[in-house]
Amino acid sequence: MDKIRRALLGQIAKLTAGAALVPLSSVASAGINDQPPRREGDPDKRYAMLIDLRACIGCQACTVSCHIENEAPLGNFRTIVSQYEVEHEETGDVATFMLPRLCNHCENPPCVPVCPVQATFQRQDGIVVVDNDACVGCAYCVQACPYDARFINEHTQTADKCTFCAHRLDVGLLPACVESCVGGARIIGDLRDPESQISRMIKEHYNELMVLKPEMGTSPHVFYLGMDERFVSRPDAKPAIWDVRDQQGEEVGYEFSGH
Amino acid sequence: MDKNRRNFLKGAAAAGGAATFAAGYSGPLEKMGKGLVNGTSGVATSDRLHGNSLAPEYSVDPVTGEVSLNPDQRIAFTVCYGCTTKCGVRVRIDNNEEKVLRVSGNPYHPLSSDEHLDESTPVMDAFRRMSSFQDQGQLNRSTACARGNAAMSQLTSDQRVLNCLKRTGPRGSNQWESIPFEQLLDEIVAGGDLFGEGEVEGLRSIRDIETPLDPDNPEYGPKSNQLLMMEATDYGRGALLKRFAFNAFGTRNYGHHGAYCGLAFRMGSGAVMNDLAKNAHVKPDYANVEFALFIGTAPSQAGNPFKRQGRLLAQARTTGNMEYVLVDPALTAAASHSAGERNRWISILPGTDTALAMALIRWMLVNEGYAKDYLRIPGNRAAERAGEPGHSNATHLVIEDDNHPRAGYFLRLSDIGQADADTDNDHPVVVNGVGELESSEQAERGELFVERTVETIDGPVTVRSSLFKLRQEAMRHSIEDYADICGIEADVIRNLARRFASFGRKAAADTHGGMMSGVGFYASYAINMLNLLAGSFNQKGGVAKGGGSFNGVGTGPRYNLADFPGKVGPKGVFLSRTRFPYEKTSEYKRRVEAGESPYPAKAPWRSVAPPILTEHLLSGLEGYPYKIKAMIGVMANPMYGQAGLTSLLAERLKDPKNIGLYVAVDGFINETNRFADYIVPDSVMYEVWGFTGAWSGTLTKMTTACWPVVEPRQAKTAAGEPVCMDNFFIELGKRLELPGFGDNVIKGADGKMHGLHRAEDFYLRAAANIAMSGTPLPAASEEDIAASGIARLLGRIRSTVTEDEAGPVAHVYTRGGRFETMEKAYDGEKLGHAWARPLCVYNETVGTAIDSYSGQRLVGTPTHHAPRFWDGSLLREHYPESEWPLLAFSFKSNLMNSYAIGLERLRMIKPYNPVLLHHNDARKFGVSHGDTISIESPGGKVLALALVGDNVHEGAIGIEHGYGHRELGAASHIIDGEERAGNPYLGAGININDLGFSDPTRNDGAATWLENVSGASVRQGLPVRVSVVEAI
Repeated sequence: MDKIRRALLGQIAKLTAGAALVPLSSVASAGINDQPPRREGDPDKRYAMLIDLRACIGCQACTVSCHIENEAPLGNFRTIVSQYEVEHEETGDVATFMLPRLCNHCENPPCVPVCPVQATFQRQDGIVVVDNDACVGCAYCVQACPYDARFINEHTQTADKCTFCAHRLDVGLLPACVESCVGGARIIGDLRDPESQISRMIKEHYNELMVLKPEMGTSPHVFYLGMDERFVSRPDAKPAIWDVRDQQGEEVGYEFSGH
Repeated sequence: MDKNRRNFLKGAAAAGGAATFAAGYSGPLEKMGKGLVNGTSGVATSDRLHGNSLAPEYSVDPVTGEVSLNPDQRIAFTVCYGCTTKCGVRVRIDNNEEKVLRVSGNPYHPLSSDEHLDESTPVMDAFRRMSSFQDQGQLNRSTACARGNAAMSQLTSDQRVLNCLKRTGPRGSNQWESIPFEQLLDEIVAGGDLFGEGEVEGLRSIRDIETPLDPDNPEYGPKSNQLLMMEATDYGRGALLKRFAFNAFGTRNYGHHGAYCGLAFRMGSGAVMNDLAKNAHVKPDYANVEFALFIGTAPSQAGNPFKRQGRLLAQARTTGNMEYVLVDPALTAAASHSAGERNRWISILPGTDTALAMALIRWMLVNEGYAKDYLRIPGNRAAERAGEPGHSNATHLVIEDDNHPRAGYFLRLSDIGQADADTDNDHPVVVNGVGELESSEQAERGELFVERTVETIDGPVTVRSSLFKLRQEAMRHSIEDYADICGIEADVIRNLARRFASFGRKAAADTHGGMMSGVGFYASYAINMLNLLAGSFNQKGGVAKGGGSFNGVGTGPRYNLADFPGKVGPKGVFLSRTRFPYEKTSEYKRRVEAGESPYPAKAPWRSVAPPILTEHLLSGLEGYPYKIKAMIGVMANPMYGQAGLTSLLAERLKDPKNIGLYVAVDGFINETNRFADYIVPDSVMYEVWGFTGAWSGTLTKMTTACWPVVEPRQAKTAAGEPVCMDNFFIELGKRLELPGFGDNVIKGADGKMHGLHRAEDFYLRAAANIAMSGTPLPAASEEDIAASGIARLLGRIRSTVTEDEAGPVAHVYTRGGRFETMEKAYDGEKLGHAWARPLCVYNETVGTAIDSYSGQRLVGTPTHHAPRFWDGSLLREHYPESEWPLLAFSFKSNLMNSYAIGLERLRMIKPYNPVLLHHNDARKFGVSHGDTISIESPGGKVLALALVGDNVHEGAIGIEHGYGHRELGAASHIIDGEERAGNPYLGAGININDLGFSDPTRNDGAATWLENVSGASVRQGLPVRVSVVEAI
C-alpha cells in the first residue's frame, strides 16, 4: 500500500477537451455550421468554466446558491451535482464521484438553431442565453440539449438555463455557483485572456481535461479536471430512487414534481 | 457484461440524480401552439436575458477595480445558524423589502474563507477581493454552504412561531392560543391553576436558594436546583442564559445537546489532552499535514467546522501534499474518486473502532513507530530545552497496588519523601537515563517502559510507566483478534499503521461523531492516542487545538459581564449524577453504615463526565437523585436527538404531575417542545445578537459578532423590544427580582453601574470588551459603516457604550467580529497557539475514578472492550447476532441536519434518506434495491427504503441523519382555533433514534442505552433485523 490508490485513468485512451479547444481562436461572431450569428455580449471575451473535480466535495452549495440567485422554481435546477458510487476495477476500492452539471455553453450549441423564434442565441462572449421576451416555451431547445441542461420554467413558461450568471459577470461579479464553491472546484473566466486563472489552468492541465459527450460535436465549454472518462457520456448507472416514502412506508412521490 | 463493468456504477444514489436534472420537459406541442400566437403564456420576467435573477449587490469596474454599491441592497456580516459550525456570513438584503436575498461567506472570517482578510482591510476592498476583478474572488473565496444558503427560508417560514403560545389542550395535544408576553411572564412566575388541571408551582416559589431540596441528602443543594435549563447548544447567547440560570436563579442544572451529539469523542479527547473539565479536542492542520487518518468522521461530508474542513481537505488533496484514509462504516463524499490515490475508504463494523485503534497502537509500540524522543521528555523544563511546547506523561509512573492509598495516581516526590504533598514542587517521578528515580522536572529524559517496585513512605509498591500500561492494554489482543472484531483485514491494519507511522510528526488521526457507540469513550481515547504516539500535537502539519476566541462576556477590560451584585454560585449535585463521586453521597454513607455493599449504585454516578442532558431529563422526572418542578428549554430537541428517548419520555412528560411547568423558547415547534406549556417565540438567525467562537482546528483566534441584520419578525414586548430568548430571560429575571437583571447590574471599568433591560445592553458591552481587549481596534470609517450595513446599528451603539468605545465597537460589526491575522497561525515548525498541558498516555482522573456499578477503578489508558451496558454485560449477551444480525449506525448528511428539514431547497435535492444495505446482507435477507424494508431493534421499528450496494460495511445498516421528523412543520397544530397544516414531506424518511432502546441492566426506572464512562447516547451499532415489507 505504498500508494494508497492506484492510478485510475492511465490505460484507456482519453477523449480530451483538446478537440473542444481547437476552434477557439477562430470563432468570432460569424456563424459556424448551422449556427445563426452571435450577438450582444463582449466580442473580446470567451467565457468558459473549468471544474476541478478533485476539489469538489459534493456539498451542493453551487446548486442552492444558483437556485436562489436565479429564482429557479423548486424542483428545477440550472446546476446540480450528481453523486455516484464507483468501484475501482482493479483494487475493488469504492469511492464517490461527484459530477457538477450545468449548461456547457457549447461552441456549437444544438439548442440554438432549433429555436423557431431565435429566442435562444449565443452571445459574442460565448454565453448561451434565452430572450424571455421572445421565447414561446416550445421546448425544442430543451429536447435538443444533449446535457439535460434546460427546462421550461413553470412561472415564466420560457426556457430556463444557466447563463454563467451573465448578469453578475457583466458587472464584475462571480457567478453564484463559483462564489459559493466550498472546495474551490469551479473556475470561471475568459479564455481570451491568457493571464486569467482559467487560461493558466487549461494550459497547465491541457491533456487531462475532458468534456461531456464530445462525440456530439457540440464543443462544450465546461471543462472537467479529474474526470473519469467513463462518465463523459451518460453513465450506465442504477438511478437514484426518487419515490419518497413517509414513515408508514407509503410512497408520497417527489414534493416538487408538480411542474 | 463482465463482473467489473457490472460493479462499476452503483447509482446516482446520494443526491442529484440524473432524473432531476432532466425533469423539465413536458407538453411542447401544446405550448408551442399557444406561444406562437400570444408569446409566452407565463409571467413576464424582470429582464429579457437575465430572467428573474437577482440584481447584483454591487459592481466592480473592470479596469480600476472600483466598487459601486447598489443602493437598493445592503450587505451585512453576521453568523449562520445553519448548523453548529457557526460560520461568519455576508448577508445580502433588499433595502426596500427588508428581505434577505442571498448569503455568502464573510471574507474576514476563518471559517468561511480560504485565507481570511486582515481586519484592517477596508470593507470596500474586501468586496473587490470577492469579485471577478483579476479573478480575486475565486483565487481566494469566502463561501456559504448549501445549508447556509438554504437556511434563510427560516426567516419567512410559515411554520415559525411568531407569538407567545400557551397550550389549550393536554400537553402534546398540539393546541395553542396566542397570549401577550406579559401574561406569559405573570403566569410562569406566579403559577396557580394555569391549565384547569390543578395547581402549578411558579418559578417564584421554586427559586429558593436557601432551603435544601432534600434534607436527607443535603449535598443535592437548594430547591432552586429543581429548575432544569436546557439549550441546543451555545449559538453565541449562552452567556446570558447561564447568567440567568447559574448566577441569578441559582440552579445547578443546565444541559445541552452534547451528550447526544459527540460527547464520547470529546471526553476521549479530553482524556488525552488532560482536560476533562472542558474536553478540548484537536483537528488536523490540513494545510500541512501529510497523512491523515479519519475514523468515524468524514470531513467535507459533515463535521465541525464543516465548511472549513471541507475546503481545506479539498485543497490538500488537490494542490497540497496530503494523503488520507477514511475508516467509516459508510462511504461518504469524503472519499473522492477524482482525487485518486490521494485517498481511500476502508469500511469498518460500527462500534468496533477501539479494536482498530488498539491494533494500530500495538503495531506502533511493537515496531517503535512512535515519536521516541518526544515521548521521553518527562516535564516542562526538559520540553523547553528540547524546543517543544509541551510534553506527555508517557514516562510517569503509576502506583499499581490496589491497597496503596494512592493507587492509580502517579508516583510523586512526596511518595518517596522528597517533597511535601500538595505543593507546587511535588512533581511526578520518572526513571531517568541511568535508571534512577528522579523528578520529572529535573530529569532530561525518562524511561518509556518501566515496571518495578519502589520504596515509598507507605512501603514498597509496584509502579508502571504510562506507556508500559498502554502497551499492556494494547497487547491483550493480537492484531488478528482486533481485525476479526472490527472487520478490517489484519494486513490492511498493519499497512495502515506502517503508513501512519512513516509520516512521523506530520501524521494526524481524527475522529468525531462516529464515537457515539457502546465503546465510545475508550475508542476516542485510543484514536486520539495515535496523535500522542506520533508526536503530532502542536506541530505544523500535525493536530491543532486552535487559536480560541476573544471573550467579551467575562470580567472584560471595559465592562464586567461575569460578576454583579448578589451573584449566586450554584450548589449541589447535578441531576445527571456527574462530576460528583457516588462515594461522597449521603446515600453511599448510609449504605456503608447499614453494613450493606454500596455497589451497585441505584443508577450510574459518572464522576468524570460533565453534566449530561441524556440523564437530566429522565432523572428529573423519575426523581433520582431528585425531581424537577420546572424546565426551560431553548431550541433544545432531545427527543429527536437522543436514541430511544421518545418512547421513554413522551408519556412521562405528558403528565403534569411529573413536571409542573415546561417553557420552551424557540422559533419552531419541534419533537420536544410540542410538550411545552408555553412557547416563547425566538428570533431566528440573522435576527439574533451574540458572539460565537471558532471550532477547534481553526488556527487563529477569532470571535464572530452576531447582530440582527434584519428586524425580528415575531411579537414585541410591552416595551417594544422583540420577544426573544435574551429579552425573555432579562424580563423574567426582572420579574423575579433576581440579581443581575434590571438597574445597576453591569459595572464599567470606570466604576459606573449600568442597567440590563434589553439584549443590546449586554451584547454591545460585550462588543466593547472584545474591541478594546489587547490592542484596541481602530474606529470604523464612514465608508466601512456604509458598506457593511451597520448604519442602522450606530444609534444603539452610541447610546449604550462610551464615546471612545463606539468607534471600535462599530469596527467589530463592520467586519462581523474580531479576527487575528493569518500570520499568527504558525510559529516556525510549531503552531502559533500551542496546547501546553501535559498530554496523557495515562489519565489519572480516569484511572482513579470508580465505576458506580462494580466499585472498580476505571482503566486509565485506552483499552479494548466490546459494546456493553451499565452492569458491564455485553450487548451481544442480551441481543445476540442470531436474532439481531445487523448493526445500525447513523452518519451525518452533507445537506440535512437535525433541524434543517423545513428548508425546501434542501428537501428538493435530497428529499429523504434511503438506508444503506450491503449487497451480501441484501441477498441474505432477500432484499432488493429499492425495496421497502422493516428495520426492527429492541426498542422500535421503522420502515425504510433499501439502497443496496457496496457503500456500507457488511453487517451494518447506515442511516443518514436529519430525516424522520414528526414536527418542525410535519404535524398540524391548532393555533387560536385555526389549523396550521403540517407538510407530510417534512416527515419523510427515518430517524435512527427511533431505533434506540433502554439499557436492560438499569433498574432505576427508564434509561436509554448510554456509554458507561461518558453517559453519551449510543446510536452507533444498534442491533437490528430487517425484513422486506410486501404490502403497505
